[in-house]
Amino acid sequence: MVALISTIAWLVPAFPLLGFLITGLAKNRLKNNQAGIIASTLVSFSFITAVILFFSLRSSGQDSVTVTLFNWISAGDLKIPFAFLIDHLSITMMLIVTGVGALIHIYSIGYMHGDERVNSFFAQMNLFTFSMLLLVMGANYLILFIGWEGVGFCSYLLIGFWFKNPAFNYAARKAFVMNRIGDLGFILGIILLFFTFKSVSFTEVFAQAGTLQAGAPLITLITILLLVGAVGKSAQIPLYTWLPDAMAGPTPVSALIHAATMVTAGIYMIARSSILYNLAPITLNIMIGLGLATAIFAAVIGLRQNDIKKVLAYSTVSQLGYMFLALGLGAYSSAVFHLTTHAFFKALLFLGAGSIIHAMGGEQDIRKMGGLRKKMPVTYFTFLAATLAISGIPPFSGFFSKDLILTKAFENNPVLYVLALGGALITCFYMFRLLYLVFFGDQRLSSAHPHESPRVMTIPLIILSILSVFGGFLNIPELFGGKSGLGEFLHSAIISKVTEELAGSTEIGLIISSLALLGLIILLAYRTYVKKAIIPAEDSKSLSSFSKAITNKFYIDEIYTALFERPFGFLSDFFFYNVENKVLDAAVDGIGTATSRLGGLARKLQAGNMSFYLFAMVGGILLFIIFILIV
Amino acid sequence: MILLIILLLPIVTGLFLLLLRNPATVRIIALTSAIVNLLITLGLIISVPSASYTVNWSHFMGTQFSLGFDGISLIMILLTNLLFPFIILSGFTRAHIKIPVLNFLILFTQSALLGVFLAQNAFLFYIFWELTLIPVYFILLLWGGENRRAITLKFFIYTLTGSLFLLFGIIYLFTLTPGIHTTDFSAFNQLHIPAATQTWLFWILFVAFAIKMPVFPFHTWQPSTYTMASKQGVMILAGVLTKMGIYGALRFLFPIVPQGVVYWQNTVIIMCLIGVVYASVIAFRQTNIKRLIAFSSMAHISLMAAAMFVLNYYSLQGLFFQVISHGVTIVALFYVVHLVQERTGTLELPQMGGLKHAAPNMAILLLIVVLGSIALPLTAGFVGEFLIITGLAQFSIWFAILGGSTMILGAIYMLYAYQRIMLGDINPAYIKVKDIRALDFFVLIPLIALILILGIYPQPILNLVEESVKAMQNLIPVN
Repeated sequence: MVALISTIAWLVPAFPLLGFLITGLAKNRLKNNQAGIIASTLVSFSFITAVILFFSLRSSGQDSVTVTLFNWISAGDLKIPFAFLIDHLSITMMLIVTGVGALIHIYSIGYMHGDERVNSFFAQMNLFTFSMLLLVMGANYLILFIGWEGVGFCSYLLIGFWFKNPAFNYAARKAFVMNRIGDLGFILGIILLFFTFKSVSFTEVFAQAGTLQAGAPLITLITILLLVGAVGKSAQIPLYTWLPDAMAGPTPVSALIHAATMVTAGIYMIARSSILYNLAPITLNIMIGLGLATAIFAAVIGLRQNDIKKVLAYSTVSQLGYMFLALGLGAYSSAVFHLTTHAFFKALLFLGAGSIIHAMGGEQDIRKMGGLRKKMPVTYFTFLAATLAISGIPPFSGFFSKDLILTKAFENNPVLYVLALGGALITCFYMFRLLYLVFFGDQRLSSAHPHESPRVMTIPLIILSILSVFGGFLNIPELFGGKSGLGEFLHSAIISKVTEELAGSTEIGLIISSLALLGLIILLAYRTYVKKAIIPAEDSKSLSSFSKAITNKFYIDEIYTALFERPFGFLSDFFFYNVENKVLDAAVDGIGTATSRLGGLARKLQAGNMSFYLFAMVGGILLFIIFILIV
Repeated sequence: MILLIILLLPIVTGLFLLLLRNPATVRIIALTSAIVNLLITLGLIISVPSASYTVNWSHFMGTQFSLGFDGISLIMILLTNLLFPFIILSGFTRAHIKIPVLNFLILFTQSALLGVFLAQNAFLFYIFWELTLIPVYFILLLWGGENRRAITLKFFIYTLTGSLFLLFGIIYLFTLTPGIHTTDFSAFNQLHIPAATQTWLFWILFVAFAIKMPVFPFHTWQPSTYTMASKQGVMILAGVLTKMGIYGALRFLFPIVPQGVVYWQNTVIIMCLIGVVYASVIAFRQTNIKRLIAFSSMAHISLMAAAMFVLNYYSLQGLFFQVISHGVTIVALFYVVHLVQERTGTLELPQMGGLKHAAPNMAILLLIVVLGSIALPLTAGFVGEFLIITGLAQFSIWFAILGGSTMILGAIYMLYAYQRIMLGDINPAYIKVKDIRALDFFVLIPLIALILILGIYPQPILNLVEESVKAMQNLIPVN
């Protein structure tokens, strides 16, 4: 079985790479849906291979298999094989990436139909899948980093897919640059890891990690640097502002890259490094703070967004915050569990949103929608399932994963629990606000003729909704008679700091009270947006200053522009016009002029006679020869 | 013998070209000679572990016409002979006037450069060092753009001034050699110069190289020269000539004035790193694309210079890798930029935009080269910069952060430039622009293939310099 794994593991990333090459090189020849079919098929092949790997690993009796393809870089102590680590964590991620990825690819055949650059779209989606698979399969930090930067680049390409629009291009660059800020931290962390352990391979680093003392400055620094990378990639405070802007890309891109896979790379990386993080309590506390702050802050902004994709984007930022909270609490498997369920329901929400936007003829403003429930029943029911899942209503998947995190927060500190629960309630409110505004009431935009999307789009929705409903059963806690399947499964790859279990009557009390609150919130949203049919105000209408601040996302983008972007431009101009031209260049010219004025001879010869300088040079060489002869 | 062939093949071919009239024949012969030279070089690298060529040329001067190489010169020779076929090939586009003269000058430059890298004594080194200036001077002057007279003059005087310091330094070292004076590097390397002398001698020797690379604040000749230079001129300047500075510093500073290096190490590294940040920041707001790339090149070269002075195993491995990687990338970059200029008739970014609609293939190729330039993993640039940053981190984490800032700043200005050239709405002025043609494929595809191949499988280059890197490392007393 190990031999089988070693033989076929490379196929998982190779299929989408092949798809990229085919659709990319033949993009002028492929007609109709050919590119989409090729791309989807190859990602499906990847998924099938990942499933085979899953069963092979189970029956092999081993926890992990390392597959080395060739030596990438070998210089001194720095030996970096191009190798894959097939273990329970990477298989989980591979299944998510290829499974959800395949569904989104199939969906895109319908969604992108008729776009003039549809072949490029599928090439880029396949390249993304390839990079993402390198990221989750890499057996060392540097292979992970290849995928890490690769997905960042594909994200750049796909955000700016409709490159006619300068705002989209700006959003694409912003995403890449903010990611790169994180990446600098990440690569420095990797370099420090290398100097500390003389290796960057997961198995070797983690085997030696025990030699470090918990809380030592070095391990704290390393984990913080890795965290900087994760904060950039997974859109946490202060590097989250690129993710809402990333909604400029086609909606399937938002579903695949900016919800289900790429943005969770930071969570994956930290869960992968659980052994290191267990040694760094300070870093864990930072993550609790960052995660919780992001979860609540983004949720609050989500309350007043009226662009359907922006609501979902802030929701993603917020949910990623919950995952960071779980990581900070040392409950890494719980974070991966939430990552998994989130991949299902958030991909579903985005694809649903895509279906709605498709039906509304490109309209994204929820104030102009309404009444879509009857016109788009499949989209409605699947969207409802996802909304219930993200809100944490049992037995939908989000309930299990979110409550696990909330309980862990409670065990750590009741205050954390209250804050996290508050964020969950806000989540529930903005999601039902979205649901009610879009699907209930009357249709407000008369020009649109909404219709259900074609089956190539609705079937992925249905499959994802099944996953969103039942995905929680992957990890039913013992409290409900389950076995914590996923947590147990990940146990060999992730060393948790806390027991990732639910037990006791306190938890039951917490769950019941939080469910009661959720019920109230849904009722409140129903009364506001269905009963009273309140439609959020037009942009022009003046608001109270606090509401205005929320609507404007607390002006964070404007603050960043004022603090970083503009001064950077000024600095660039200042360096060029003042330092470069007025000081450095002027000084050189000044020296030149002064020298030439020193001697009358020089002045005579300087009258534009270029060849003199050549002559002088040759003369210099001759003088040199003469000098040597004399000495 | 083989070294003499490598050295003389270009110039002999070049002289022969002067007798010919037909531009097509001239180009084909020039290209053939460059390719043959590349093949010989590759053969040399594969077959011979070490070769040196020595002939008694002028024994009365205590100096010989001796050629030879080690890993460091080999990497430089490889770079030179790798790039010149492309530089010559890129001149196949339209009928220039004076094709024979142009190709003669290009081949002349190639020979002079090879001479610099092969010379085994300082005297010979200096002669070739100065000889490179002559053909480059004429290439810039005759085929340059706007303001070429003033700019070429400045370039010429600036570098010549640096060379005078070097000349002085060489003469001084010559007088220090025991017994019959000599300028052999091997003799120079044996000198035990007092530490106090080394501290000032360091700068005498370094200035010429600092100007040639160029390193902040000796760079002011470079942006305007690159901007004005013709396509082939700038490819020679940015691709190979800058590496002469690096090579010279490696040959003269570390073996001869090691204590001077240690004394000034921090100062020079900080100078270089200031250059990295300074040039990257300036690049952001440049409107002329060639000037922008000139500053970008300066940032990359500054990082390499910093790596040189950090002088540990990883920084040196990174440096040599980056010598090849930067050469290939910058030549490809300038080629595409000139392609854009030929199509749009401008170098000003604000006047460009939307070119991707008419020239999608050009956009893709430019994007890949840009990725190489901003060191995305699996391009050659990543391997080099990763090793360099690793080396910097071993020396000081702060230096690593400063040097690593190029990862962020490079992405900022390069992607902005790419957007301003290629993306945006359809530009009515460029609807009928022609996409890539066959010649462009012949130049760009091999270069891009190299960028990717070296990024995916960098080991041959790393192995090539392994021994030299270890030797270099031991030159400086560990402090």
